[in-house]
Amino acid sequence: MSNKNRGEAKRSKSGAFYKKSFITSWLFAVPAIVLMYMFIWRPTVMGFVWSLFKMKGYTPTHFIGIKNYVEVMNDTQFIPLFINTLEYVFWSLVVGFLPPILLAVIVNEMVHFRQKIMTFLYMPAIIPAIAVSLLWKQMYDPSDIGLLNMILIKIGMSPYQWLNDGHFTILWIIVSMTWKSFPGAMLLYYSALQGVNQELYEAATIDGAGMVKRAWYVTRPQIMGVLILNFVRQIIGVFQVMEQPLAMTGGGPDGASASLGYQLYKYGFVTQRVGHAMALGTIIFVVLILMTVFYFRLNKKLEESM
Amino acid sequence: MSRFQEKTTGLLTNVDLKGAKGKIIYWAFFAILIACCLITFLPAVWTVFTALKDPNEIYTSTKFFPEHLSLAIFTERILDSWNQLKFGRSILNTFYFSVVAWAIKLTVCTFAGYTFSKLKPKGSTVVFVIILWTMMMPSQMRTVPNYISFLSFPFASKSEFGIGINLLDTYWPLWLGGAVDAFAVMLFKNAFDSISDSIVEAATIDGAGKLQIFFNVMIPLSVPIIIYESIMTLSGAWSNFFGPYLIIQDTRKQLLPAKIFLIGNDGTVKQNTYLMGLIIASMPQLLIFAFFKKYIMGGINVGGVKG
Repeated sequence: MSNKNRGEAKRSKSGAFYKKSFITSWLFAVPAIVLMYMFIWRPTVMGFVWSLFKMKGYTPTHFIGIKNYVEVMNDTQFIPLFINTLEYVFWSLVVGFLPPILLAVIVNEMVHFRQKIMTFLYMPAIIPAIAVSLLWKQMYDPSDIGLLNMILIKIGMSPYQWLNDGHFTILWIIVSMTWKSFPGAMLLYYSALQGVNQELYEAATIDGAGMVKRAWYVTRPQIMGVLILNFVRQIIGVFQVMEQPLAMTGGGPDGASASLGYQLYKYGFVTQRVGHAMALGTIIFVVLILMTVFYFRLNKKLEESM
Repeated sequence: MSRFQEKTTGLLTNVDLKGAKGKIIYWAFFAILIACCLITFLPAVWTVFTALKDPNEIYTSTKFFPEHLSLAIFTERILDSWNQLKFGRSILNTFYFSVVAWAIKLTVCTFAGYTFSKLKPKGSTVVFVIILWTMMMPSQMRTVPNYISFLSFPFASKSEFGIGINLLDTYWPLWLGGAVDAFAVMLFKNAFDSISDSIVEAATIDGAGKLQIFFNVMIPLSVPIIIYESIMTLSGAWSNFFGPYLIIQDTRKQLLPAKIFLIGNDGTVKQNTYLMGLIIASMPQLLIFAFFKKYIMGGINVGGVKG
């Protein structure tokens, strides 16, 4: 405390030193602030502004109001794309949300080979995302050279179309994404579980709580914060899915796996409807911001209830 | 079995584990984990075996294991794939790209962390909160506007002043855009916060300037977090696909992730060679993981949960 007071006294004594110190102190943060302005804040604002403009190539020409939005939303593709995107989110929650939690809980119970198992399970997370997509595309090969059809044939079933089966293309893409992303989530839950106070388990055991009760009344409340955070993060992340359909299916078969993000990429860089790309970007942005606000509300309520 | 005795708490306690029911549950858990390890490893094993198969073999036999396997075939397959894929140039590019990306990002983010943690000029708290907000901003909206600004950097668009540098086909947009990471700034701020103010004051009394304190006190005292962030940055840059795919059209400057994607699309490369390409592209990261496992799997305690 006395140190702090001395420092303040020194500062207020000589204004010139303080002023010089003020500028040099800020200088260290200037690169980060300038880059953040140029690469994050400005494009976010300009994306919205230009979504109200007619674009000629990549140059805005004149103000046209909400025409871009009307055209994007009236596109016959828009509703199917939106549904596809929700389907991505839905499958990612069905396939990808519970397994990492359960695995983290189970690994945390192990007394044998715990570190080795963690290392083995973590392996998919270190392979580059694009290599994972391309590798799974090979595994899903509809002829008999793909791994999954090799297995199907081995157990006496006929080969399956995998990614070419339009009803489930999104599910198969999500399976490959889950393979890549579950170790990260698992590690996050695992470190949350490590922080659980062991005395709580002891107390619960003495009170006669069985395994299931301990899981529900001791483990669950302790990791609830991380759980909700990851839940919302996953929704926000998967809602913007773009690379995977681009790398694995090209949006096919017949648009069955195209997402809003993939459509944005096509508007912006393939079909050159740049104004539409930015209108669609703004729509995605608004949806995600609403979700983020919802998350903060939820988190606040959770904190109040605890 | 005696190891069960050490486990006193948790969902299963040592009392539970003495009974038959507890043991069954425990080994069922163990079996689930082994099954999951198989699921994570089977694709990798298949990739390696298929990559080592003879080109004639992949389309005629549906066996999991290659029919012939020896060190000679092993080396021949690697050399043959290497010659077909012509990865040399893009590997060098990606290496160069990753190292510069690492240097820029670490400089920018550690400096910023220093300002917000120790220098704390007037107004820095407000700015730091704004920086934290950027983490909440959905990134997809920025793709197109950013691309437009790269055409006439540093201005927002060509129509603004009619001047600017075209940064397409250079690595600069990726380096500079990759350098802004609010999460990394926060990570370094937290790390510097844990360094006692009295050390900084002592250094100031000894006549050290701000820059000297940064390099001689701050950096040496936060080595673990710097190693963690370095690993993350390097492997992130190495596997960066979409940005480079959009911005780098010049084949001489192509980076590896975009290259493996484009090779897959042109369809002339056979499956075994292609899978060998994927292995080569993942190799650096597997090596990094093998050597820095401790930091990668422990680092999340430092950053992840706090964030």
